[in-house]
Amino acid sequence: MEALTGWWDDFFWGSKVVAEVFIASLGLTILFGLIGAAAKLSNSKIAKKLAAAYTVIFRGTPEILVILLFYFGLAITITSIAKIFDPTVKFIDIPPFWSGTFAISLIVGSYATETFRGAFLGVNQGSIEAAKALGMSQLQLFIYIRIPEMWRIALPPFGNHMLSLVKDTALISVIGLNETLFVAKQAITVTGKPFTMYIFVGIIYLGFSSIITLTVIAVERYGKRTTTVK
Amino acid sequence: MNIDLNLIVESIPEMLSGFGTTLYLLIISGFLGLLLAILLLLMRISGKFYLDFPAQIYIYIFRGTPILVQIFIIYYGLPQFEYIQDSMFWIILREPTGCAILALTLNTGAYVSEILRGGVLAVNRGLIEAGSALGMNARHRFIYITTPIAIRIALPSYSNDVVSLLKSTALASTITITDMTGIARTIVSKTYAPYEIFVSLAIVYMICTFIIQKFFGFIENKMSNYTKIDSDNDK
Repeated sequence: MEALTGWWDDFFWGSKVVAEVFIASLGLTILFGLIGAAAKLSNSKIAKKLAAAYTVIFRGTPEILVILLFYFGLAITITSIAKIFDPTVKFIDIPPFWSGTFAISLIVGSYATETFRGAFLGVNQGSIEAAKALGMSQLQLFIYIRIPEMWRIALPPFGNHMLSLVKDTALISVIGLNETLFVAKQAITVTGKPFTMYIFVGIIYLGFSSIITLTVIAVERYGKRTTTVK
Repeated sequence: MNIDLNLIVESIPEMLSGFGTTLYLLIISGFLGLLLAILLLLMRISGKFYLDFPAQIYIYIFRGTPILVQIFIIYYGLPQFEYIQDSMFWIILREPTGCAILALTLNTGAYVSEILRGGVLAVNRGLIEAGSALGMNARHRFIYITTPIAIRIALPSYSNDVVSLLKSTALASTITITDMTGIARTIVSKTYAPYEIFVSLAIVYMICTFIIQKFFGFIENKMSNYTKIDSDNDK
């Protein structure tokens, strides 16, 4: 533990980066998941095909490959676009935070697509008919019936997706995001204690996972408060 | 920005030369991970606190931390201790491949044991009761009734886990192993053509994923041969 002296604040800022990536990617994951699910449930053949391609591509490719591709690829693309407007531009660096967040959101979003699709299909048909009988509009039906029923079905598998998001954050350190694993690498070059440092990183991530798991359990309980026990 | 087709044609065989390493990592750690998972499963369902609790802690730790951190702890972390360098395990731990296999095995074992447990718990109680009514003892019930049905239930999730194990083997490239991803990263750092290299490698991985899914789909089909007649009658 003495090896950690002087590194506590660095690890704290690293953990803050993990939390930031988690929050940003959580929003994007839900967005991609909902778009994907909407496309899969739509009547348009093209949208269905696109959504199917999206899930196949991002579920079949290693996470690290997607992260590397986004980081190096986006930099090249944006540089070449910038050169059209301003030929003096040498190279534009993409912040690893955003390319990494975008990459892991797309990956986990492809899993969330399937979860959300299943959850929307799992909405009780009787509730929908009841809402229609009450004269609800499509929008009202969506907000008051589909969404409240859907998130309760989607939450347990989505909890696992959130855990994947947190754990994938560690992979972004490969492209230089200064999260805890990256901090540990720097600390090791100074202290020469790799085991202590990496174990500490593991403990930090375990803490994040535990918080998420407990939150999901609490929200699940909140979701069940109105349903009667059969 | 032009796509260099020649570069793709040249680099694909080079990347495929790492396919053997990827496959090796996948098969060895998949097999050892399955053995570990069975051991953990037996501990979890033993009903004995002193076996169940350690297994639960193990699964909690290995599922709650990133696999990359686990790989780093084993590859960079363990040599911090002198006695590990003197021990018999050093033969495995001094090689990056050994470390990668160890990390992947420990990781996948935790995930697969939960999948198997899901399968075991989903076995119809009535069948087990029927077994005891026929005078089978607990061991026979587990071997002849629970196991075959649990395998069939767990197989679809297990095939997903094999796919994620395949994806995890790409992380071995972070500890200097020249698997497909490792080779691709070397080529990209030389040519700086991320799109050509990484996208063609992604396609290779997708083909592997597809083959794994088809393979397990085939096994699933074979194993549920005689249950299909029942479900046809239901329709």
